[in-house]
Amino acid sequence: MSEKTIVADIDRSRYDFRFEEDESNYLGSGLTAEIVTELSQEKGDPEWMRDLRLHSLDIYNKTKMVEWGPSIDELDVDKIVTYIRQKSRMNTDWNDVPEDIKKTFENLGIPQAERESLAGVGAQYDSELVYHNVRKEVAQSGVVYTDLESAMHDERYGEIIKSHFMKLVPPTDHKFAALHGAVWSGGSFVYVPKGVRLEIPLQSYFRLNAKGAGQFEHTLIILEEDSYLHFIEGCSAPKYYEAGLHAGCVELYVGKNATLRYSTIENWSKNMYNLNTKRALVSQGGKIEWVSGSFGSHVSYLYPMSILNGEGARAEFTGITFAGEGQNLDTGAKMIHNAPNTSSYMNTKSISKSGGISTFRSAVVVKENAVGSKSSVSCESLMLDKISRSDTVPAMDIRTKYADIGHEAKIGRISDESVFYLMSRGMSEQDAKAMIVRGFADNVSKELPLEYAMEMNNLIGLEMHGSIG
Amino acid sequence: MSTVKLNTLPAPTFSWLGVNDIQADVGALDNGTYALDNGSCTEVLSGGAYEITAQGGEIREAVMFISPNDSAQVSTTVKAGGSSAVRLVQVFDGKAQTVSSVKALLEDDTGFELVQLYLGTGSTISEIDTQLGGRKSEFTANIGYLLGGDDKLDINLIARHLGKKTKSQITAKGVMNDSAQKTFKGTIDFVSGSAGASGAENEDVLLIGEKVVNKTVPLILCAEEDVEGSHGASIGRVDEEHIFYMQSRGLPQEKIVQLMAQSKIAQIVNTIADEQVRARINNKIGRGKDDE
Repeated sequence: MSEKTIVADIDRSRYDFRFEEDESNYLGSGLTAEIVTELSQEKGDPEWMRDLRLHSLDIYNKTKMVEWGPSIDELDVDKIVTYIRQKSRMNTDWNDVPEDIKKTFENLGIPQAERESLAGVGAQYDSELVYHNVRKEVAQSGVVYTDLESAMHDERYGEIIKSHFMKLVPPTDHKFAALHGAVWSGGSFVYVPKGVRLEIPLQSYFRLNAKGAGQFEHTLIILEEDSYLHFIEGCSAPKYYEAGLHAGCVELYVGKNATLRYSTIENWSKNMYNLNTKRALVSQGGKIEWVSGSFGSHVSYLYPMSILNGEGARAEFTGITFAGEGQNLDTGAKMIHNAPNTSSYMNTKSISKSGGISTFRSAVVVKENAVGSKSSVSCESLMLDKISRSDTVPAMDIRTKYADIGHEAKIGRISDESVFYLMSRGMSEQDAKAMIVRGFADNVSKELPLEYAMEMNNLIGLEMHGSIG
Repeated sequence: MSTVKLNTLPAPTFSWLGVNDIQADVGALDNGTYALDNGSCTEVLSGGAYEITAQGGEIREAVMFISPNDSAQVSTTVKAGGSSAVRLVQVFDGKAQTVSSVKALLEDDTGFELVQLYLGTGSTISEIDTQLGGRKSEFTANIGYLLGGDDKLDINLIARHLGKKTKSQITAKGVMNDSAQKTFKGTIDFVSGSAGASGAENEDVLLIGEKVVNKTVPLILCAEEDVEGSHGASIGRVDEEHIFYMQSRGLPQEKIVQLMAQSKIAQIVNTIADEQVRARINNKIGRGKDDE
């Protein structure tokens, strides 16, 4: 009997190790005004931030769950620990980071990557940043890369943060944006001054170690005119039986003629609810490039939004989603054209296997004033077996005649013709199939720096064996 | 009259887009169902339930001109059994609010070809729900719309592939002028077990009016490995190269836009076999015999 070709699950052994947490460091679970106030005091928030937290909590309590997307009924937010006290102060010297945390990041290859290919690194462990460092020459160019809390208390940046924080993603946006506003902790602040082009990337790595905990980091990036930045975000967590929650928020301000590339390799464990919100506001002539790989988590809701707010602003979204057993990954992007001659391009791939569910969901909105705008969307889905599911749910809302909008989507399995063609060129059937699946994922891997492309290839772990069933 | 949710998207999406459903006041349908005879051309001037059934190798055709005087609900049931085929043409050109539904049930080796034309519709809410239940059943939908003024059109088309080797082909072409509003939701649903099925969907919209609102929501839902599904959409203005070419041949811009609009809808009209019906529609859209 012939055996069905197997595409292996992602090898998670590298991510599934964990260290025991001292539970005395936990702030109580659940969500009450007392807990939020305690968290705010603990963090020494300025008054405006404490007010924002309590206001957000109020919105959270009044907001209904969304009526679309994967079920999150099993997530009990009242059982999630929203804040874990840091074990040490934020460090800029790797040697000062506590041993078990250091070991965690060393296992994940972060310090090595910093030495070899990054201009700066931030590492968050549970609720707080434990390490932040930038190369000297980068700091000298005026680039600020620090944890958001320190920046908020720094008189040079305090006002900037106040005028930008949760202005793009207001707490009223949706229930989990409100939750984020109430209990956010950790995350990075990046400021790139006018004309500075940072050719090597910065990276933040988020690691959730404690069980039954939530991570609510906030990333705020501001690019001034004519600047360039590549920011890389990585996430992982070990597997526990209790559900974990990631409700982070990313706000990106791309200045006139500036370009920001924001790459994410997300590999949360399969008990995580990844309810993350990312949004970019792009000014005249600016560009946002999203590169997004979604591999982990139990349930994901992730649709980075690009608001093209200045004439000639551009956005690109390149994404791949790999849904395996027990995963329901609802991913995509939103493009809002709000100025003349803006353009957006979306190119996504999704793979479903072993009962995994992947949904591509998108929205392209072209407003009345966005005359001369163009948008193109292309999404492809690959079904690797008949017990999985793959849905495509795009929407377009076009309100000017002076626009050119294109959309195409395909769904299917590995075509017999392609396998036959490659076999006629001397490849074995399994090699042919492996090549096709790797090629399918190529749109994202070629957009990543080499080290991360290799990391992604490891993640996909496309080991094929057997023959066609 | 009661307010109900209509045209519910099979997989709801971001609620702020306002495409998940539409609310409307509808009354109860009159009792009784009118059978549509083969080769008939029915003028629908008020609400009612209609049915067209084909059996045992038959090919049945019917045409409905739907232009009610007052707001009306029109429901049409299509049943195709035992290697039969149904061809149904529906032309909507009333100004009163019309709520239309077409429900089709296709058995083994059957075909259903639907042509719908919306020619200045006032307010129309239209749902087409085709169940491709039988093996090798096929569904073709050709939908054309020519909207202007304050026309509002909301279409929710669902092709549900249940049987093996079923096929669906959905084509929508339309022109929007003035401040017309249109939502086209097209869903190809491959249910588990529909191995060998294929479905393709395409919408091509020409925007002419300054204040148009066009929403296009093409869904593919897939719970089966061995299927092929695709959808495409193209939304925009008249190609500038086409305008330039025709201007260089001496045509004024208004005439060019009118020609482009007519040709868009003509591609759907030309799929109608009956010459008289075609002529009547062409007459309505100001397209003479010489233009054919």
